[in-house]
Amino acid sequence: MTETLKLTIDRRDGVAVIYTEGYINNQGGEEIARAAYGLLDEGYKQLLLNLTGTKIINSIGISILIEIIEKMLEIEGKLAFCALTPTIEKTFHIMGLAQYAAIFADETTAVSGLRSDP
Amino acid sequence: MSSGAPAGEELRAELERLAREVLPGGRRALERLLPVFARAVGGGGAVYLRSEHGLRREIEAGPGTFPEHIEESPASSLAFDGGILAWSPPRDPSTLTSEATALALAVAAAAREVQLALHIRRQDFEVKTRGVQLEALYDVGLAIASTLDFERLCEEILMRAVSLLDARRGALYLARGEALGLERAFGGDAAPLLELGDSEVQALLEGEPTPNCCALPGAFHLLGVPILLEGEAKGVLVVGDKESRRGVGPFRPEDRRTLELLANQAAIALENVDLHRQALEKERLEREVELASQIQRQILPERAPELAGYELVGWNRPARHIGGDYYDFFRVAGGHETDGRIALVVGDVSGKGVPAALLVATLHSALRLLSEREPLSAAMIERLNRHILEWSSANKFITLFIAELDPASGELEFVNAGHNPALLLRADGSVEQLGATGLPLGLLPAARFGVERSRLACGDLLCLYSDGITEAASPEGEELGTAQLGELLAARSGLALPELVEAIDRAVVDLAAGRAQGDDQTLLLLRRRA
Repeated sequence: MTETLKLTIDRRDGVAVIYTEGYINNQGGEEIARAAYGLLDEGYKQLLLNLTGTKIINSIGISILIEIIEKMLEIEGKLAFCALTPTIEKTFHIMGLAQYAAIFADETTAVSGLRSDP
Repeated sequence: MSSGAPAGEELRAELERLAREVLPGGRRALERLLPVFARAVGGGGAVYLRSEHGLRREIEAGPGTFPEHIEESPASSLAFDGGILAWSPPRDPSTLTSEATALALAVAAAAREVQLALHIRRQDFEVKTRGVQLEALYDVGLAIASTLDFERLCEEILMRAVSLLDARRGALYLARGEALGLERAFGGDAAPLLELGDSEVQALLEGEPTPNCCALPGAFHLLGVPILLEGEAKGVLVVGDKESRRGVGPFRPEDRRTLELLANQAAIALENVDLHRQALEKERLEREVELASQIQRQILPERAPELAGYELVGWNRPARHIGGDYYDFFRVAGGHETDGRIALVVGDVSGKGVPAALLVATLHSALRLLSEREPLSAAMIERLNRHILEWSSANKFITLFIAELDPASGELEFVNAGHNPALLLRADGSVEQLGATGLPLGLLPAARFGVERSRLACGDLLCLYSDGITEAASPEGEELGTAQLGELLAARSGLALPELVEAIDRAVVDLAAGRAQGDDQTLLLLRRRA
């Protein structure tokens, strides 16, 4: 399993998808934040984090994701998550991320969900 | 909503909502007020909020250098509950203009709001993080009942430990003999083996600082706990370098308790998987043994051939599922089962179980092939001996009694390769022993074997057997013995052969008096009626 986070970005019709692979910790969270804020600067207001390649996250990574969510709320953008492991999904619910960011089972559903709810 | 006082959970949620609403407004107020204040003091300004790591810069405006973290309040600052407002160029607070003082108080009021909101959020975050930890401990407990995959369980335990304790690295070691072997590592290298007696490992488990410990080389801060089952260390769970937004640091005292709880759950889960693995392995071995047993049962003859003027019976009871005894009767080269020469065989392979069964199969096929091509002779048994020697493992050998009977004349040719003497009960009640004519098969490549002859007259009984019969013993150690077997045959000579077999079996069982059968038991009886 990859341990240092790797990111891939796919820009498509107003929605940017960030694919993560590896540990979302302090370093990993910072990388995601950099990528997300860069996409906001490019004008993307709908971001999807596809966590297919991530099996582990810690509280520092979660706090950074919360900051990204707050930033998105501030600019009236949207952030959604998809392809979470059951453990990570449960963690997101307990930590309150699911209150402010939608969670989808897969990428197709997530992209259409983001587009249908501008 | 309930009409009474809000429950703790509701209150916490309400506070969290309030903080979430207040925070953006407070920050916007700071963003607007601070630049105005900076202009009023003719320089720059910064708001610092107090955290567990000292004073952290929240926002700055205008020219001037304001470090991200400071330990103490500078002279040019105004303290408020939860932080300070600093400015440059340096000026005593008492010299600020009334406008600047009013602005400073407004900035401080907004900063207090932000600080309060952040404090509520931090508290909320910590409560939720604790909730995640409790859920994780519960989940690992559930895995005890649901995960029987060893690899998956090890990964789950290590991942949970690393993420719950905000560690950057981790390793799981499990007992391998006297040492602990590395089962899984995360975030970097780990030593392949740990010695529990090692002073560095002891220090780690006792909570002493052990930077760069062999368990996680290169990690500055380590936390390790034993995985204990009934007081015995079954492994070690170790994590390294606790993360914060500022980098890595030492673990907190409460982290040890969390890791210990996780290790307790892990111990039970790992034991459960191990027991399941042992059960599967036992089941697999039993299936193999049963299969080998079936094969061996197929090797032994289903019934004795019809032989005019003779009675013939064979009987075998293995001590375990698969035995090392073997018996057979078959038509030899040029013979016919009803009137031609018949081979009678009893063998005993050293050992029991699958290896013995394989050697029995080797003996069976070799003997059958050789007997199809040539009659019994010393040369034939010598070839058989070399074949057994070549295809058996070291220290394996076979004792074998093989005889060829000419039914018409009662002539008997036999070779006894280190086997128990066959007993020939004459019609007059006397017993002859047909002793060894050579060494057991498979011992020496150049072994020689003699072929001897005898003759069965009307009423004579030939008894071939394995040592499981004559060495059957009472609880006091008294064996049945060859002589007693001969006496038993003589005393029961009037019985038909199946009943005679039953009588011998009963005598053996009675002698053992309930003790488990120690060796395979085989009998082959041939009586000339006419």
